[in-house]
Amino acid sequence: MKTSLKKIYTWINSRVELDDLVQFMGKKYVPINRHSVWYYFGGVSLFLFIIQVVTGILLLMYYKGSDSLAFESIQFIMSKVQFGWLIRSIHSWAANLFILAIFVHMFSVFFTKAYRAPREMTWLTGMVMLLLAFGFGFSGYLLPWNELAFFATRVGTDIAGILPVIGKPMLTFLRAGEDVTGATLSRFFGIHVAILPGIFIVFLSIHLLLVQRQGMSEPLDGHHDTERKVMPFFPNFLLRDLLLWLIVLNVLAILAVFFPWELGKKADAFASAPAGIKPEWYFLFMYQTLKYLPAHILSMDGEVLGVLLFGAAGALWTLVPFWDKKSSRGERNRFINYLGLFVVLFIIVLTIIGWLA
Amino acid sequence: MKHFAYILSLVIISSGLVFSQAQTRVDQCVSCHNDLETPEAKLFQHDIHRMKGLSCADCHGGNRYAEDMDQAMDKKAGYIGVPKGDQISSMCAKCHGDAEKMKQYHSSLPTNQFENLKESVHGRLDLTGNARIAQCSTCHNAHGIVSVKNPASPVYPLNIPATCAKCHANPTYMRTYDPSLPVDQLEKYRTSIHGIRNKKGDPKPAECASCHGSHDIKSVHDAKSSVYPLNIPATCAHCHSDAAYMKQYGIPTDQFEKYSLSVHGVALLKKHDISAPACNSCHGNHGAVPPGVESISKVCGTCHALNADLFSSSPHKKAFDERKLPECETCHSNHEILTPTEKMLGTTADAVCSRCHTEKENPKGFIAAQQMRTLMDSLIHEEAKAKMLVNEAEQRGMEVSDAEYKLRDAHQALLQSRTAVHAFNEEKFAETVKPGLATAALVEGEAKGAVEEYYFRRMGLGVATLIITILAVSLFLYIRRLEKNGKHKV
Repeated sequence: MKTSLKKIYTWINSRVELDDLVQFMGKKYVPINRHSVWYYFGGVSLFLFIIQVVTGILLLMYYKGSDSLAFESIQFIMSKVQFGWLIRSIHSWAANLFILAIFVHMFSVFFTKAYRAPREMTWLTGMVMLLLAFGFGFSGYLLPWNELAFFATRVGTDIAGILPVIGKPMLTFLRAGEDVTGATLSRFFGIHVAILPGIFIVFLSIHLLLVQRQGMSEPLDGHHDTERKVMPFFPNFLLRDLLLWLIVLNVLAILAVFFPWELGKKADAFASAPAGIKPEWYFLFMYQTLKYLPAHILSMDGEVLGVLLFGAAGALWTLVPFWDKKSSRGERNRFINYLGLFVVLFIIVLTIIGWLA
Repeated sequence: MKHFAYILSLVIISSGLVFSQAQTRVDQCVSCHNDLETPEAKLFQHDIHRMKGLSCADCHGGNRYAEDMDQAMDKKAGYIGVPKGDQISSMCAKCHGDAEKMKQYHSSLPTNQFENLKESVHGRLDLTGNARIAQCSTCHNAHGIVSVKNPASPVYPLNIPATCAKCHANPTYMRTYDPSLPVDQLEKYRTSIHGIRNKKGDPKPAECASCHGSHDIKSVHDAKSSVYPLNIPATCAHCHSDAAYMKQYGIPTDQFEKYSLSVHGVALLKKHDISAPACNSCHGNHGAVPPGVESISKVCGTCHALNADLFSSSPHKKAFDERKLPECETCHSNHEILTPTEKMLGTTADAVCSRCHTEKENPKGFIAAQQMRTLMDSLIHEEAKAKMLVNEAEQRGMEVSDAEYKLRDAHQALLQSRTAVHAFNEEKFAETVKPGLATAALVEGEAKGAVEEYYFRRMGLGVATLIITILAVSLFLYIRRLEKNGKHKV
């Protein structure tokens, strides 16, 4: 067996010179410090993305992206296709865990200031992927074409539509018309299964390449150690990653079986919106904040100002490697910690209020 | 003496003046018009208003005591001539809308007639757009007005149909206001029991105003109308539930009570479903009569068409005709038609079949009724069982919408079987029930499968979790072994 594998390796190596890569991988180490646990959330996010791709492809075999067939095709997947219920439930649960893992990963990077030079590009590609993940969630939510998704999409796109100048064209572009219709479903379907995955893969590749090339960042307070503790990336860190992936897979299976993702009622454009319509949990803090804003602030529409403020805050957050000069110089920056803490508390509190409202 | 002569002459002169003045206060309008023998004057001689001391000038204005015609009919004296349009009703309402004035004449009449008229369908503007469609005089006449209790009154019960028909039987006139409104009401009314008795001189049976009201007549489409579908039963019951009023006619007075309990009454009166039949749906409205034995199935068949058709081609048709049994009514009753259940079918004590079909006298029908009931019971039982299993699967979070949809087919078969009963043909009945039984069995199978699948999923999860856990533990142990030499240092 070993001989056969070696023969195959030798055959490939003689053509693409694998030795260099193996040598590089053999020399790759992961630092060990009191923040090492956060390193694993990048891997968990990647694992959940892979699950999304695999289950998404399987769902594509039966899903029909039209307003007259979408709901029925999901019903068919849930009731007739072998393990269709499992695939759909895992796809839905993994989508939510994926966003959660990205959030944890992003905040861990933020608090350990791992975005600082020379890893600005890694941070930026990560932020782009977070936005793309939101796009995945928003577009995928409509695809079952059920009542909740239909009205939540209407509310969500309405919010996008209030933006000055670009709002109206953006609304029309997203909805493929004036209102949420079958054309919106077809558009969201295309965005969800072709456009977003295509763009995401590009950024993911850059992100992973940068991580491999630059290695893991070490926290600022670790520099005082006299000697650095490390572990080899291959196989130690990878095996630890695999162990965590197995645990996540177990959690996913339990969630899918005990809490199968409900399908609800088919969307009816002429029906009145069901009570208590809410966006997905990861948009809830923004939605709830907009609800608290007064109708007019300084002669501006409250909602418009809110959306613009969220946009500005998001931009500032994304550009943190460029304005946090202290951390880049290796100095402590307590402001970043307080800012991060405020944002985390803000998101958690507003999400809980929104959930309970 | 001189003083006495002076006082006497004063008394004589003043008495003469009073006498001559009394002579000049003769109602010159009445006096002249009586002399002229005008039709108005003739009619007015018997007018209730004249009896009460009113005169021409009370409506037409002017100076009733002036001998000179120009002075009598001087506009400055308030003379208005012949009142036109709304002036007529307003003139009547001056007294009839004033409770104090009416008290002076010891009248017990209501004083809201004009207000009611204005709100009524007749209070809408006429073709000219300047006046209401009907004025008081349209129905009551102008100069020969007599009490409504007087048989000479156009609004006396016996005369009302003809009074209303003056306009309502005139197609040319009615077309100008409501082309869709029929104009044969009087013709139909005369064929009704009400109309026949009315014609014979009985003022008690219903005429137009009994059902439609008098001054406050509303369109039949107006929910406030006494003949709006929801209000019809109460309108009819006004007389038909009054035992004292109906005593002389010898008919029951519990129809409304029974109807209220019936499937039709509940639908109309409680659920406010205006498509549900009211009294007039079966009895007719203007031509109201109890449907004859031979026409009951036709009357019921206007809504229950399929049941009526099946019955007409069933062996029961001939048997019922021979025995002069009213078709639908024999089993379902008339006013108190309850929701039919499977209990009506079969040979049990509460089944209607057993009233005629006994094991000894009519074994064929007896057996057929028994078998049909067995089939229906099976379908009900199987449908309920399938429904219970579908609910169980649904409660366990299983996707069973397809089974739920099919369940509707089983229920549809049950509904169809209730109609198919009316063919009283065992084979045809079985043809309707069997697809329902097959569907129920199919749904039952699917629902059972879903429940089994539920347990399979849990078992599958257990196995998968065990495998993953073993893998994870093995991996953990492998990592530990790999790292037993401690951390790498660089």
